[in-house]
Amino acid sequence: MALLLRSVYLRCITFGAAPMGSTAKEEMNKFWDKNVRLNRPMSPHITIYKWSVPMMMSIMHRGTGIGLTGAVSAFAMAALVLPGSYPYYLDLIHSLSIGPFLTGLAKFGIAFPLSYHTYNGIRHLCWDFGKGFKIPEVYSTGYTVIGLSVLTSVALMMI
Amino acid sequence: MAALIRLSSVCRRGVKPLFYQSTLLVRPLAVPHKHQEQPYLLTARIHSSQALYASGSNSAASLHWTAERVLSILLLAMGPVAYFSPGPVIDYSLAAALTLHGHWGLGQVVTDYVHGDTKIKLANVGLFLLSTITFTGLCYFNYNDVGICKAVALLWSK
Repeated sequence: MALLLRSVYLRCITFGAAPMGSTAKEEMNKFWDKNVRLNRPMSPHITIYKWSVPMMMSIMHRGTGIGLTGAVSAFAMAALVLPGSYPYYLDLIHSLSIGPFLTGLAKFGIAFPLSYHTYNGIRHLCWDFGKGFKIPEVYSTGYTVIGLSVLTSVALMMI
Repeated sequence: MAALIRLSSVCRRGVKPLFYQSTLLVRPLAVPHKHQEQPYLLTARIHSSQALYASGSNSAASLHWTAERVLSILLLAMGPVAYFSPGPVIDYSLAAALTLHGHWGLGQVVTDYVHGDTKIKLANVGLFLLSTITFTGLCYFNYNDVGICKAVALLWSK
């Protein structure tokens, strides 16, 4: 009995339990605040866990998403700030005579994130409909996305 | 005797059973081991639990999730349309869809990596500003310059 009472008491103190009040969000914030307050180090995770293709594809999806959004925002801000018109700046770049190789590289650099994010996005949508969760399917659709992305980017680079 | 029984429940099955006992119920938990066999009972219990009614049931998050997927599909459809019939309608639609998709995407990134009430609020304000500027810039570009579809076409013809 005493043990039980003690455990109740400790639990109420530790969790700051209020009757039917705190939400998951509040509890999460309390957890993170405590981590900061106690200066807890982060457990090693990406530095020790073995990388897998699905992991890499997932972070690639996020990375390309952030990159593409950044590029669109940068373009929009440039449109607002720069005085000249778009064809003017295009001619400016053209006059630099960059050469076909670097131009192709730039085209690939734009096309690849876009096609990867698009194809992997379709893969994500399939998951959202409940399809393709078996591990072999995850890998086969993954490789398909990578292959299609490379092919599409190369094709777009040629145009 | 009671103490022995309580102690044995801890030792045999771990701490979890203690949470189900009425003395410790600070909020209703509904994850008994049986829930895998009777998911509808669990759902019924969650939806009728007092905490849910105390805080008010809220489907905002799941609606947001659905809206994100709908927007993604819409954006996918806009690609071919932009290619085959460029023009101001698709330009502005693309501006809106692109900005919103990016805004919601970055919102998820903020949710994942930013912690602490003030930091979250700051990050979301910054994100909102960025998205507003982006949409403004894109619309400005569509109105005063060649427009998104033409811009891509010109860029690629270079």
